[in-house]
Amino acid sequence: MVYTKKSPALFIIGLIMLAIWWGADSGTLNGFVEHLNSVATPEKMSYKYMAEMSTIPMYFGIIATVFGLWQLLGSHKEGNVDYFSSSVAGAMFILLIAMLVRWFIAPEIEAISRGMGKVGETGSHIHKLLGLNYVVLGIVTGIVIVNVFRIPEWAQNGVRLSRLGLKTGVILLGTLYSLAELKNLGQLSVVMIGFFVLGSVGMVLWIGARRNIPNSMGGVLSAGMGVCGVSATVAAAPVVQAKSVEIAYTIGTILIWGVGCMFAFPIIGNLLGMGYVQFGAWAGTGILNSAQVAGAALAFQPHGIETLKVAEIFNITRVLFLPIIVLWLAVWYVKREESAQAVNVGQVIFSKFPLFVLGFILMFALSSTGIFAPAQHYKGKFFDNAVKAEKMLKSEEVAALSAEINKIQRNDQKEAVARLAQNGKIMSVDDDILIRGVVNGKILSKDATKVLKGAHKAVWHTAKKIKKFRDWITWLFAFGLVGLGMQITIGAMKQAGGQPAVIGGIVGFVKAALSLIVVMMFVSETI
Amino acid sequence: MAKFKNILLASHGTEGAQAAEKAALDLCSPDASIYHLIVVPDFWKGMMGDDWLNNGITRDTFGHYLESELGKEIDEHIAETNSVMQKHGVTYKHGIVVGKPDECLLEASKEADYDLVVIGSPRPKGKQGLRSKMKLEPLAQSLSVPLFVANYPE
Repeated sequence: MVYTKKSPALFIIGLIMLAIWWGADSGTLNGFVEHLNSVATPEKMSYKYMAEMSTIPMYFGIIATVFGLWQLLGSHKEGNVDYFSSSVAGAMFILLIAMLVRWFIAPEIEAISRGMGKVGETGSHIHKLLGLNYVVLGIVTGIVIVNVFRIPEWAQNGVRLSRLGLKTGVILLGTLYSLAELKNLGQLSVVMIGFFVLGSVGMVLWIGARRNIPNSMGGVLSAGMGVCGVSATVAAAPVVQAKSVEIAYTIGTILIWGVGCMFAFPIIGNLLGMGYVQFGAWAGTGILNSAQVAGAALAFQPHGIETLKVAEIFNITRVLFLPIIVLWLAVWYVKREESAQAVNVGQVIFSKFPLFVLGFILMFALSSTGIFAPAQHYKGKFFDNAVKAEKMLKSEEVAALSAEINKIQRNDQKEAVARLAQNGKIMSVDDDILIRGVVNGKILSKDATKVLKGAHKAVWHTAKKIKKFRDWITWLFAFGLVGLGMQITIGAMKQAGGQPAVIGGIVGFVKAALSLIVVMMFVSETI
Repeated sequence: MAKFKNILLASHGTEGAQAAEKAALDLCSPDASIYHLIVVPDFWKGMMGDDWLNNGITRDTFGHYLESELGKEIDEHIAETNSVMQKHGVTYKHGIVVGKPDECLLEASKEADYDLVVIGSPRPKGKQGLRSKMKLEPLAQSLSVPLFVANYPE
């Protein structure tokens, strides 16, 4: 069978991308920014996408146009080249949707929202409160496309690449953690995921036993509700010999919960004023479906990846728990059902092990060697006090510090600030830690504290490669989530029902509420 | 009551469908032939939803497992229907297709010279089951063959 379709679609996608690039590069699209500002009046919009619009659509536009022409005019034979080339059109289709949403649709909605003013006493605009940014809108666009228009035949093979995009994003994310950060987040996630995974699996089985549901239904539902939603259901269903109707009920319930949580969590997080670590930990624990964890994290913080970093550590911990839970359920099921097949422990662990986690660990290890950024980097930033003259303290700033230095009680902090005043820059990482202590302790006046913050900023640099990784990660997740949206069908969601809907509703709510309480009480913003 | 010689029956094992099977037998002449169309609803294609964490082996295992489960259920249903039809001396044939139930039925109705199409009633509200309804109105408008909708069993 020849998979490559002779369709002009890819060529047209390429032309649209090139038109966007030309519009940005020639200044034609400046009119769009003016339009956004007029819609947002009396507020101003800060449109920061022109730089990426001047490069990304050009590269991908050329690839899509050339490939599109070859697909349309060339002859194609059965084989590996044909199979891989058939996925290009779908991948470019997802990418184009991601571009249109990020650069045009999301800013338009933001402008309209700003034009409407802030909502009551919340101090926020409606787009911020509802998390209506390019990530959420991208997923919604994907859902609309698959359910209203259907995925065109020429794009179907490529849409599956969205999974590869997300896995590659997680692997690259490995470059952005420091050892201390990974250790602390890892410990937190193991404790929280361990408690809530085991708790919700146990709770489903307990409620299920009281409501006399079959063991196969209890098994598949507990995996879905406990570990990582649809992924866990897919992994556990054959092991616990779930009936087709039980699978449909479970997956329908999880998909509805997942999509609902993706919208609800960022709204609640914003209303409660949660920090990045708190929100990432809550989303990573409380949202059933792993895809929606990433979606909610990026919806909460669309222009940064601190929340995503935390949420993905929780996702990775969940996926590492998956083989263990599947094994547990398999043993549990064999004990209760005579028809069940014996469990091959090694085979279960091996076949369910998520290989991309090894990629994440490898990238983290490489990053720790200093290949992407100096080895001592923290969150992608490294200390270097060879600063330019204009970044050193001015005489009036030195005077401001000297005037207040006696307010500092601790000698080591006082000496660090004195060294800063004397040299015009922070002299060592140790001094920087002491100075940050002075800032966090709010010991000095606002002006003097501002000087200290400026001095700290001057000696910490983001490695160029790390900055590139951040950009790639953002795009890989945007690409992956738009593509995953194209795989969420209303037909599957409509199957939510039966006992799984009742039990799933109870356990899902308890898990989300309890994990919120735990996060608010015990998780601080500093990791 | 008029007796029909060539009936297209659409059913898939639910209570409403069982009523349709019974109605088809009541309505057919002794030497009739019944073509039994079994539609596997296309929502199953989206049943892996937005899973992205699993590897190819796990996804394949799930796909094969689900296929075999659906296949088992259909085989059991066909065997049961076949034995009932044989008892009544009716010529029984069957076909399995994947898609939207109403679209598949419409397509199948054009493939032979049927004189009646028999289906079951939609499931009453509150009754549990998979959601894949036959859209009655467009079906009735497009069918060129008389349509009989069997009452839902009480």
